[in-house]
Amino acid sequence: MSQPPPSAGRELANPPSDGISNLRFSNTSDHLLVSSWDKRVRLYDVSTNSLKGEFLHGGAVLDCCFHDDSSGFSVGSDNKVRRIVFNVGKEDVLGMHEKPVRCVEYSYAAGQVITGSWDKTVKCWDPRGASGPERTQVGTYLQPERVYSLSLVGNRLVVATAGRHVNIYDLRNMSQPEQRRESSLKYQTRCVRSYPNGTGYALSSVEGRVAMEFFDLSEAAQAKNYGTFATGGCDGFVNIWDGNNKKRLYQYSKYPSSIAALSFSRDGQLLAVASSYTFEEGEKSHEPEAIFVRNVNEIEVKPKPKAYPNPAA
Amino acid sequence: MAKDPILQVETTCGSLLYKNQIIWDEVGETETDRDKMLLELERECLEVYRRKVDKANRCRAQLRQAIADAEAELASICSAMGERPVHIRQSDQSVGSLKLELGKILPELEEMQKRKIERRNQFLLVLEEVENITNDIKGQGEHVLSKPPIDETDLSMRKLEELNCHLQALQKEKSDRVETIRKHLCTLYSHCSVLGMDFNEVVRQVNPTLTDPEGPRSLSDHTIDNLDAAVQKLREVKIQRMQKLQDLATTMLELWNLMDTPIEEQQEYQHITCNIAASEHEITQANSLSEDFIKYVEAEVVRLGEVKASKMKELVVKKRSELEEICRKTHMLPVSDSAMDQTIVAIESGIVDATLVLEHLEQHISKVKEEALSRKEILEKVEKWLSACDEESWLEEYNRDDNRYNAGRGAHLTLKRAEKARNLVNKLPVMVEALASKTIVWEREKGIEFLYDGIRLLSMLEEYNLLRQEREEEHRRQRDHKKLQGQLIAEQEALYGSKPSPSKPLGGKKAPRMSTGGTATNRRLSLGAGMHQTPKPNKKADQRQVQVDGALSTGRRGLDVAGLPSRKQSMNPCEQLQSPLVRKPFSPISTTVVASKANIATPQQLVPNSKSNAVNEISSFATPVKNNNIIKKLEEEKMMMMMQTPKNVASMIPIPSTPATISVPMQTAPTPLNNNNNARFLPEKAEVIEYSFEERRLAFMLQSESPIHV
Repeated sequence: MSQPPPSAGRELANPPSDGISNLRFSNTSDHLLVSSWDKRVRLYDVSTNSLKGEFLHGGAVLDCCFHDDSSGFSVGSDNKVRRIVFNVGKEDVLGMHEKPVRCVEYSYAAGQVITGSWDKTVKCWDPRGASGPERTQVGTYLQPERVYSLSLVGNRLVVATAGRHVNIYDLRNMSQPEQRRESSLKYQTRCVRSYPNGTGYALSSVEGRVAMEFFDLSEAAQAKNYGTFATGGCDGFVNIWDGNNKKRLYQYSKYPSSIAALSFSRDGQLLAVASSYTFEEGEKSHEPEAIFVRNVNEIEVKPKPKAYPNPAA
Repeated sequence: MAKDPILQVETTCGSLLYKNQIIWDEVGETETDRDKMLLELERECLEVYRRKVDKANRCRAQLRQAIADAEAELASICSAMGERPVHIRQSDQSVGSLKLELGKILPELEEMQKRKIERRNQFLLVLEEVENITNDIKGQGEHVLSKPPIDETDLSMRKLEELNCHLQALQKEKSDRVETIRKHLCTLYSHCSVLGMDFNEVVRQVNPTLTDPEGPRSLSDHTIDNLDAAVQKLREVKIQRMQKLQDLATTMLELWNLMDTPIEEQQEYQHITCNIAASEHEITQANSLSEDFIKYVEAEVVRLGEVKASKMKELVVKKRSELEEICRKTHMLPVSDSAMDQTIVAIESGIVDATLVLEHLEQHISKVKEEALSRKEILEKVEKWLSACDEESWLEEYNRDDNRYNAGRGAHLTLKRAEKARNLVNKLPVMVEALASKTIVWEREKGIEFLYDGIRLLSMLEEYNLLRQEREEEHRRQRDHKKLQGQLIAEQEALYGSKPSPSKPLGGKKAPRMSTGGTATNRRLSLGAGMHQTPKPNKKADQRQVQVDGALSTGRRGLDVAGLPSRKQSMNPCEQLQSPLVRKPFSPISTTVVASKANIATPQQLVPNSKSNAVNEISSFATPVKNNNIIKKLEEEKMMMMMQTPKNVASMIPIPSTPATISVPMQTAPTPLNNNNNARFLPEKAEVIEYSFEERRLAFMLQSESPIHV
């Protein structure tokens, strides 16, 4: 069994027992929410390296996100959209799709839960209706193909589907997409993430490339500020990139398995890395799942204009 | 001169009393009242006195207490400091007043207190120092006591001395450790230098504090043990590598010796070989045992080994040809080529040790030489016999030549030759007989058959004898026939007149002669020509002749590429008429012939190395033109077939009986390009649905969970 180097970060205790589908830091504390193929959602307190809560679902959990420090949402292969309340340890079902639900996001701007599913729809839910008998589903929006990834920033929602389609919505008017696009990458879309400054989004494909796009096409002509971002691949490496100078700033030492998910903490000081086989080569024996939380040194993520050499990895 | 104050007071008291009396008198106090008042006065006065006295008493007591306290403290201090008290209070000793005593003792006490504090400070100093050094020795990160404990009850010089000794011991230990570490680091440095390792890295692994010469270093047992272990380990590595290098050097020397490597080449590695017997501590040169260096030396040894191997191979080949030469000269069958080729391949691939093979070859050669020696006499006789046979056949032809008595250029020479030949022929039977008996003796002695190019000499002689007999018979028959003819002619003449000269032979005569011609002509008979033999008695001869042809021709080894025997024989003129280029009717063309004709293309086959090959080759040589046509046809067929169905070529081409050197029919395999082409067509026909990793994973999970699939 390969040992991750000591600089890989702190390994969390009690990791999931099967593949990790996603992990997220909370916006308000150093809590980490982790969804896994072992049908469980786990909540960790990173500062004490302890497991704070565990929720068993009916099928593999494919995504999860925080609402606030007391609750979050999770979706999975049992087609259900759930809210989980951490301290109380209870959960409600907000609603269902017809096929497994692949992604979930919570929009603070709209106060709604957004889910994307392999039934080719994106649905919006009002979580306040969960406890009551009222319908929580606010809307359902048909996509050209199965939804693989989605991302929110401000009032914008970016949906990436199979067949390399990308739909961009304005949450205030979901009746039709603001923009319909096709991924500029040649291979299947793996993941889409919006820039925190809301000017665009990054798309990654199974080939291992990342494309940087902008919402406003005229903005593309202006000075582009890509900022710095992290990517994790099935090769087990996490790279930090300087988009503007188009350089790789840093590469962390190889992790034991594919990088299934990454999440920065709210202050950007910590990076959670899920080292977990993502089934890219089908069924095979693999390293056990592990979650590493590492400190992010400024030197690693500060943009480097071309004058300076890269630091030793 | 003042009045005594008490007297003064007393006077004042009296006067006051007197005044009082007067007042009382004036007031008119009664006697009892006056007595009462006076009594009260007395009593009050008494009280006052008493109080004063009490106070004085208390004061005295305090003083005493103070003295006692001071003395006690002093005693305690003195005992703590281990010094005798200066002042011992003795009850009988009268120092004077208490105050004086106190006054005396207090400064002493102060003095002692001061000294105690000083002493205590000394202790503190020493203890702190001890603490420091202990921490240094125990190593960084160990718990540091904030305040060293002092035993207040023992502040004596003796104890201080004790502590000082302890401190010195610790200081010594510390410096010892520093020294040990320094020595170890030196050794380590030396080892690292020799082994080509990074000293700083190695030291860092033992303990990071050791890498910084300026900063604080760990002196703990753990560190020293680790350091010691590291030194030992590196020493072992050094010894290992040194041994390895010495082994390599030894091998190098051996190889140099074996191959007589020139001195210039050896010079380069002198510095290694000179250390071949060195001991561990003698090797101090930097990087002389580094991994790279050892690899470098290893590579050279490997290279030398390869040179040796190739030289060995050369040697083997040389020896083999030597062996073959001897065999050839003495008409013994050599070792089969294929076996030797395999051996050479085996040597090249390292399976077989060339030295072993060489040994075998040497043994074989010496054996063969011995045998050759024993065969020498008989072989000489065989040569004589064979040349006699040649002359015999020449003579036969000569005899048939009707023009032989014509005077022409060189006629006298031929006449001479014919005479000699006749003599020789006469001696032939004796020669053969002698040869045969000698051979039998030889065979009996050796216990093996005497083989001439693979055939038993005695059989050859026997065959020859048989042939001779037949020839004799033939001649007799011819003579008889001639006689008969002569008689007939004479009768005819007698009957009808003169007839053509009997010297002109009938065409028919040639035929039988032809067929029973000398051994030389027999040798050249093709299968087809052989079939042209006349009736029954000859038929038997044919078969034998064919065999004999084979035997004799292999024996002679005289056939060269052109198909002519090496000993010049003039072609029988009649034989020429039968053009060997024309296929005789009724002569079979077997597939073997066809196939072997195909072999012509390959030069290897032309050297006969087995009987069967020889037969085939004779036949193939006999009809060369035909061969070309057939070969061409075959090749064409091959090409056509290959273009149509590449896989089936192998089955179409007839498999030759000889080890085929026909080019193996091209086994074509479909190239990947083909597959891609096929694949490219697929999407047009069927939809390809993409799936994400998660979808696939889910499908797999459900499949393995489903009870249906076992």
